[in-house]
Amino acid sequence: MSAMKFFRRSRGHSRMRLLFTFLLAVLPLLARADDEHVKVTLLCESSALVPGQAAWLGIQLQHEPHWHTYWINPGDSGLATKLAWQLPAGFHADEIDWPTPTRITLGDLQNFGYEGDVLLPVPLHVPADATPGTMAHVAAEVKYLVCREECIPGKASVALDLPVRATAAPCPQQPLFAAARAAQARVVRWPGAAHIRGDRLDVELHAADLPAISDAFVVQRKLVDYAPPRITHDGVECRLSFAKSDYFSAAPAQIDLVLRARANAWRASVPVSSP
Amino acid sequence: MKHFLFALFALAFAAPALAKVAVGEAAPDFTLTDSNGKSHSLSQYKGKVVVLEWNNPKCPFVGKHYGGGNMQKQQADASAAGVVWLTINSSAAGKQGDVSAAEANAYIAKVDGKQTAYLLDTSGKVGHLYGAKTTPHMFVIDKAGVLRYMGGIDSIKSTDKEDLAKATQYVPQALAELAAGKPVSVPTAEPYGCSVEYAAK
Repeated sequence: MSAMKFFRRSRGHSRMRLLFTFLLAVLPLLARADDEHVKVTLLCESSALVPGQAAWLGIQLQHEPHWHTYWINPGDSGLATKLAWQLPAGFHADEIDWPTPTRITLGDLQNFGYEGDVLLPVPLHVPADATPGTMAHVAAEVKYLVCREECIPGKASVALDLPVRATAAPCPQQPLFAAARAAQARVVRWPGAAHIRGDRLDVELHAADLPAISDAFVVQRKLVDYAPPRITHDGVECRLSFAKSDYFSAAPAQIDLVLRARANAWRASVPVSSP
Repeated sequence: MKHFLFALFALAFAAPALAKVAVGEAAPDFTLTDSNGKSHSLSQYKGKVVVLEWNNPKCPFVGKHYGGGNMQKQQADASAAGVVWLTINSSAAGKQGDVSAAEANAYIAKVDGKQTAYLLDTSGKVGHLYGAKTTPHMFVIDKAGVLRYMGGIDSIKSTDKEDLAKATQYVPQALAELAAGKPVSVPTAEPYGCSVEYAAK
């Protein structure tokens, strides 16, 4: 019998009790902050935290159509989503494992961000001496900029209470984490280097079976102009030629890139070669 | 029909890409009308230091600097020192932040703006000329008409007024260094803000 049918068949008081029980059951698993144009929720992959292990948490962003938030490097404008965690003593959260962004072009301006539904996974390190049977209150302040044409800054406070246990069962939203993991750009170690040549920054990659890369995003700011690079490819070597940023000051030791080819993406790092 | 197609073709190629200006080079000249109907050219201000401030009244980053009094203070201090401060609005017609002359004056009155003039660049021509990407986006031009600073308004990219006190304000810093005959210590900094609302291509 469907949930709705069951609910409709219940009577007055028992229906209220049902609703109340449902909410009580569901509330601990949801830590949601509704805000304009994007819904921000803190999700768990595991229903408990195991001492000495990392547990994945996720900031789920559900954007209204045509609205977007930003990647770690937002591009010409915008602001990356930022997290500030409040964790019990001994716990610490790593950086967001940023999913591959979408290029958002508005005339001559380039941005990198997310539309629709996206999960920003974060590994939470549980101390080895965490006491099984205790509850951990895990909270985050999520600061974001959500834009369509205009931009609206937002702040969401989200929290979860999770028990510390020797073992953990999956949370209901575990499939979202599995999907994010499967979709994540694979880290590759293709040999290559970046060279600064005049007002351009060229990245050369070598691999026996290089895919046909169609776009690339640089993580570091103040390096390249954000227009798509000129890409030349001969099956073994791929050259991505970017215009240098107007705000280029010094080359870093290494450049981190996200490379796209149709539906696939890879993450690569290349050293910057001195001329 | 031929004329129409030709016009369409010409239009497709008419819109310029964002130009590149560079610190140390002559700042490109332009002429715009302000919110009081008066015309201003950059060249008429040779002999004075000029600040260009890209503005969109509806942008929360602009709101941070005006709401916190930061922009107005910088404008007032600059004006007191003989600097010409030109606020420029490059929002296209119908886009967010697009204002009529009357609306611009109402905005200036509301925020108690202390700029020399509020220039209307609805066609986006001057925004493209300077490569203005964000609001705010700042440029400082010296008395000889050379660009000496371009980029962000300060060092903390956020919409939070609380960050104003902690950030390095690049325009007053550059103005003070120019006045003292020193090199500008931070000639460029990444601009941050909302995208300038140019017409869609």
